[in-house]
Amino acid sequence: MEGRDKVKIDVKNLSFFYGGTQALKDITLPIYDRKVTAFIGPSGCGKSTLLRVLNRIYELYPNQRAEGEVRLDGEDILHSKQDTNLLRARVGMVFQKPTPFPMTIYDNIAFGIKLYERIPRSELDGRIEHALQRAALWGEVKDKLRESGLSLSGGQQQRLCIARTVATKPEVILLDEPASALDPISTAKIEELIDELVKDYTIAIVTHNMQQASRTSDYTAFMYLGELIEFGNTEKVFTAPTNKRTEQYITGRFG
Amino acid sequence: MSKVTPTRKRAEAVRRSGYRDVRFRLLTWLASMGVVAIFAGVMAALGIGAWPAIKAFGFPFLYTEIWNPVTDQFGALASIYGTLVTSLIAMVIAVPVGIGIAIFLTEICPRPLRRSIGIAIELLAGIPSIIYGIWGLFVFAPWFQSGLQPWLIDLFSNVPVLQDYLGGAPYGIGIFTAALILSVMVLPFISAVTRDVFETVPTTLKEAAYAMGCTTSEVVWRVTLPFARTGVVGGAMLALGRALGETMAVTFVIGNAHHIQTSLFAPGTTISATIANEFTEAVGPLYLSSLIEMGLILFFITFVVLASAQLMLGALERRAGGLSS
Repeated sequence: MEGRDKVKIDVKNLSFFYGGTQALKDITLPIYDRKVTAFIGPSGCGKSTLLRVLNRIYELYPNQRAEGEVRLDGEDILHSKQDTNLLRARVGMVFQKPTPFPMTIYDNIAFGIKLYERIPRSELDGRIEHALQRAALWGEVKDKLRESGLSLSGGQQQRLCIARTVATKPEVILLDEPASALDPISTAKIEELIDELVKDYTIAIVTHNMQQASRTSDYTAFMYLGELIEFGNTEKVFTAPTNKRTEQYITGRFG
Repeated sequence: MSKVTPTRKRAEAVRRSGYRDVRFRLLTWLASMGVVAIFAGVMAALGIGAWPAIKAFGFPFLYTEIWNPVTDQFGALASIYGTLVTSLIAMVIAVPVGIGIAIFLTEICPRPLRRSIGIAIELLAGIPSIIYGIWGLFVFAPWFQSGLQPWLIDLFSNVPVLQDYLGGAPYGIGIFTAALILSVMVLPFISAVTRDVFETVPTTLKEAAYAMGCTTSEVVWRVTLPFARTGVVGGAMLALGRALGETMAVTFVIGNAHHIQTSLFAPGTTISATIANEFTEAVGPLYLSSLIEMGLILFFITFVVLASAQLMLGALERRAGGLSS
């Protein structure tokens, strides 16, 4: 199966530093096109850091730097003259805590679309409905599009954020513990959504939840103290891990 | 040695702290009631003091421009006009600049510079208003008169409407000069309050906007400002309250003329400047009473501004659906 999938993002010898502290050590792994890749590992292992390199959001902060290569469709996003705004349009991100913008539900989605496109109102309405449907939220909000995005529940807010990301038509969606602040029902909805979205998008998800990783992902990367310990087919990583530490972590013996 | 404290002792301790609590509650009650009493007292004193003038001039006091101590004819219009116009111009200048400073400090400024610039702005708020007055009269006004003012008058001399407002003779002092000084004085309030509210915008929210590919200006306009708008309006209103009542610096540079002229460069007066200037020479009872009535009017204007700010903030908060979460 690994042989047949196309590589979307190729991470090669990636190291990352917070000032003098090295948070990622020589990471090399592929992220396959239209597959879900899960990043697991104990807190502080660098999995969120890795995700934050993929859209270069770390650059907002001084003293953070990445070394190595990250190739998106063959093009190195770290060292080429890559425009970060354009990169972030291609690689969307959803955060742990829902982050609806302080505006109406409608405007939250329209916001991202309007950043890149000038389209007539009727088409915009259609795009917004489509995005909300993709995020399985349309039925719940179609009668209150003019209300504040902050009036929604936590789970709805998170799906709104996913809809917002989907609406800008990215190629890759990064999910940084998207369900860790949500109740079990909302979590299940997000997971269903991931299954649905992966048909069209490449997804990288960071999670603390082993079941979530095994349920939703095609590939799993286990990280520990900034190093990639094991990467492979999810089924294989969870049923027959080659590394002792991976086995201990997924069976809950440490972490 | 110390085992369990006997129950009797504990009960005593609880009772003691109970008394203390009652005393404490009473004290806080007294303190806040004191404020209400002072407020009522000021209102009453102003009302009683102003009564002769209210009786003599009635409502026309508010829209009469004449101010003639010799014939005992008084009207507050020129002062009210000056108060409102100087404050308005000051806000038009200070609000955008103050917000700009806050944006720079929170989003753009390199970290090491942030603290020093922030402190410089806060120091600006600490300068006594008399210093602003002296500086305005002896340094700024002459420079304004010989430099900027003739240039502005020249610039707008052929522009309809504007030539009336920004024309005439360059006096140096006047309504516009007072407004400029006021804008510098309220700037620290606006930028400090705005910066503080900007800093309450969650990092995750800004990151989310950047993660969508927003530029810094898009993040500021579409996320930071809307999120912080209640605080920004609050800061601006606080500054307006201060501008309306500012006395010393304005008195120095406004020219103290009881006339309303179209040109903003012409001398004028404000309520507080008139009171400060003329209180000592107000010999007639009607003269004194008229000044007190102007104080009452200023009180009322400030009250209305602050109250409407509260209402506006409430409305904004309701519309935003509880942004504080």
